[in-house]
Amino acid sequence: MEAVKKPITYAQLLETNNLMQINSDESYWLCVTRTTQESKLFPVSPYMMLSYANAFYRWPTLLRKIESRMSMEECGDRARNMGTKTDTLTMGWTLPCFYLLGREWLINMGMLRPEDAVEDVIYVMDCWKRMQLSYHRNDGHITNSQYGHRSQLMPERQLQVFEADLHDTVPGDALHVASSKFMATVSQYQFLSHCECRIGICNQGPYSFGEGRELIVRDFMDLGVGDYPWLDGVADKFPFHNLTVPMVVKDTHFELMDDWGSFESKPEFRAENIVRIGLYTSDLLSDSYVPVAMESPQALAAKFTELTHLISEANQVLWKKIAGWSRAEMLEAGALVYYNILKDVAHIAGVYEQSDWMEIDERAQRLVPLLNDEYGRDVLTELVGLLTLPSQVCNDYTMAMHKNTNHRMYSPIPYTILNTGDYTATSGPLGKGSSLFKKTSGWRTTRGVLDQESYNKAVREFTPFACTPEARFLDDNWVKYHHKDANVEALYRHTQARSPKLANKGAGLTREDITKLCNG
Amino acid sequence: MKNFQWDQNKFGLEESTPTSRAYHHSIRALVRERFEASGLEWKDFVFGSNNCGLSASDFTNVEAKLLASGYRFDLSATISAKEAPEKYKPLKGQHELTLNAEVKDGRMQAGEGDNVVTYPASVKGSALYVHTTDEVMTMVMEGVPPGSIAIIDDSGGTLTAPILEHFAGVICMGGSVRSHLAILCREYGIPCFMNAKIGGINNGDRLEINCAAPARSALDCQKGIERTAEIWKLV
Repeated sequence: MEAVKKPITYAQLLETNNLMQINSDESYWLCVTRTTQESKLFPVSPYMMLSYANAFYRWPTLLRKIESRMSMEECGDRARNMGTKTDTLTMGWTLPCFYLLGREWLINMGMLRPEDAVEDVIYVMDCWKRMQLSYHRNDGHITNSQYGHRSQLMPERQLQVFEADLHDTVPGDALHVASSKFMATVSQYQFLSHCECRIGICNQGPYSFGEGRELIVRDFMDLGVGDYPWLDGVADKFPFHNLTVPMVVKDTHFELMDDWGSFESKPEFRAENIVRIGLYTSDLLSDSYVPVAMESPQALAAKFTELTHLISEANQVLWKKIAGWSRAEMLEAGALVYYNILKDVAHIAGVYEQSDWMEIDERAQRLVPLLNDEYGRDVLTELVGLLTLPSQVCNDYTMAMHKNTNHRMYSPIPYTILNTGDYTATSGPLGKGSSLFKKTSGWRTTRGVLDQESYNKAVREFTPFACTPEARFLDDNWVKYHHKDANVEALYRHTQARSPKLANKGAGLTREDITKLCNG
Repeated sequence: MKNFQWDQNKFGLEESTPTSRAYHHSIRALVRERFEASGLEWKDFVFGSNNCGLSASDFTNVEAKLLASGYRFDLSATISAKEAPEKYKPLKGQHELTLNAEVKDGRMQAGEGDNVVTYPASVKGSALYVHTTDEVMTMVMEGVPPGSIAIIDDSGGTLTAPILEHFAGVICMGGSVRSHLAILCREYGIPCFMNAKIGGINNGDRLEINCAAPARSALDCQKGIERTAEIWKLV
């Protein structure tokens, strides 16, 4: 029997418009602290615009496909326990904003009204809300900005493992030199492999480590062969797909961790203030974080150096490859990197298909002839910085957050549709897609390099321990009162199983206990 | 006609940049034309098999119309001018800044920029302009001259990806302290000025950048607080 379609309610519109306005306010703040990111290599602004249109036409269908197998809140639970591209930047900001920027652009070209694709808009914003509330469950916020630009995503049990196992380091020692060089080199590679986009790097924190020290956790994602066809033949030798570097910094307060996963600190962050560091990998099949060469500071330093060499080599090969691309290839690669920013949610649900996430829809593709460098730059600047496109102008009395002028980034859905019924529901199913890139290799995982079908199958058959029915709802506040509960003990011991210092220590540990254990 | 909301925008229809204005006016006119010709209701016109009745050739014509007026586009990526030089303005030369060129202590101010990170002391080196992928490729093959302070008009992190770590300092003619190039220089520990303005600097000139000056923070950017540091030419 066909499900009865529920009418759109006033409450849904109120909430959707609120969620859009929250993103409008924060996006302006994020964008105004940077100028439009340009590049001599990539036509960045043009590819951003193409990606926004592709996101508008395709994401609602693909989100529904993901939720046909796993809800956004369950995806959020899984994302919280690993360092993949389901993070602050990708889910926190780009999920709502790329979609809404595509919508706003089309509105200003007269190809859409705010009354169009209403069910899609409500659904996308609802997906974002549920994913974010789940992902941020431990800090109780929906975004970093709502938390005063902070993200404390990790539970106590994981932070205790980091506190026990990270290695001490001082400027000039082998670990300090090797880890600093690694982080610079991998950051460089991530900007290149992501076509000038920052989404390959994300930071979370800070977390208090006592004595004026703070921990931030840095994720470097999509390093090996995977969804990006241009890494085939370039990153095949790289043994990890994602790496996580937790690091403790002294005499530095991270006063801002924004919804782009970038930080600001006082004084400015400098590598010589790193006092403890570690290295982990994780993915959908790893069951949380796996230590990488954490057995000693010497082994870790050697691993950082080995990985730096591999990345440096890949960086050179990739740069030469990209320098030989046509503008059409650069435009499409950049647009795909932006557009497929939600792809790891499809991986989590085990429904990833390359054609869903690595193709440009014909409805977006037709806009390519518009996207010369100047129009790309100017329409983007108006859209996210100046807020001067006609749809963005409000009445003369308006004072926008952070701007005090009569502008807003995103058009709300008109409430009159509740009376008139004059709206369209959806942009429709996926249109015909195309791509200039062909994938030739598999996907790097912690179970080796898998093909698409085996990868999806393995993910569908696997449930991380923290997401099993017995463990999923054991939140830190409940644990505080029930740390002797058998399920809590099991969850803590599972998290501690790979820790040299905390293995089998259980759920009753405090920071004082960990300090004694480490000093003993 | 029904439902064409652009006819009734109370606050006007003027984009603030010339290409956006020209393009959007043309496209809105096209949508109106196709919508009227279709005889459809908007709900049947906007998506589905119609998709506003616009195809790639319509958008190609929108660009062609603007180019036919004599307009030429600003350039960002060098590949754009390489493939379609007829569409773009010639690449600008170096950013010139007129300064009171008073020589003091063997140096004269030749520019200023936003310092990314405060270091204990200023840094000296030789000016090296980096504009194109061909120039980068040459340095990939032949190496970066030691002690080079790169002058780059690209705030991105990809043009100089294979050679960035070899620079003694970076002066970027655009971007902000949170741009990708600034982030990478911070990671590598390379002194870097963003949003710089310079004058009278030629390749090989000896420079000193005052990276001991206070850094410009995100809060400064948000509040529009200027906090520039000096670039000196050694004479």
